[in-house]
Amino acid sequence: VVDQIRLWQIEGERMKTTPGYLFKEFSTTSEFNAVCRYANDLGVLVWADHNKGNLFVSKHEQIADYIRKRAHAGR
Amino acid sequence: MVRAIKGTLVECDPSIKAIILDIDSKTHDIINLDESHLIIKDSKVAELKRILEERLNEHTKVDSLEEEEEEEDD
Repeated sequence: VVDQIRLWQIEGERMKTTPGYLFKEFSTTSEFNAVCRYANDLGVLVWADHNKGNLFVSKHEQIADYIRKRAHAGR
Repeated sequence: MVRAIKGTLVECDPSIKAIILDIDSKTHDIINLDESHLIIKDSKVAELKRILEERLNEHTKVDSLEEEEEEEDD
């Protein structure tokens, strides 16, 4: 019975969709890591690939602000 | 320079992902991220779900037809 319930669960979760924004092409790993951490702290981080430097967030306004502020601070 | 792209993240099995990529083979709207993740346009989500459901149902029907044929042979 437990196995059947698991099968049903797998069927129901064939595809999970989350609307939001993909952020890619970070100039440095440290920038990627910082944005990743910030997004996670805000609770908007949905998924991240540390090898390829891609991350997906459910909201982008604060993330974009954060990236802009970091860029200004670096100059 | 960081790029931000609006879209819907799809998380699924590699087998389901293969079907999605096949559905997309004409339009190439999808951003392929890894074996179980991809991005599609927000406006395409409902359509993709519908086509995927159709494809999965097709497979089930084909299986049951084959079984019936075998029974008739006996």
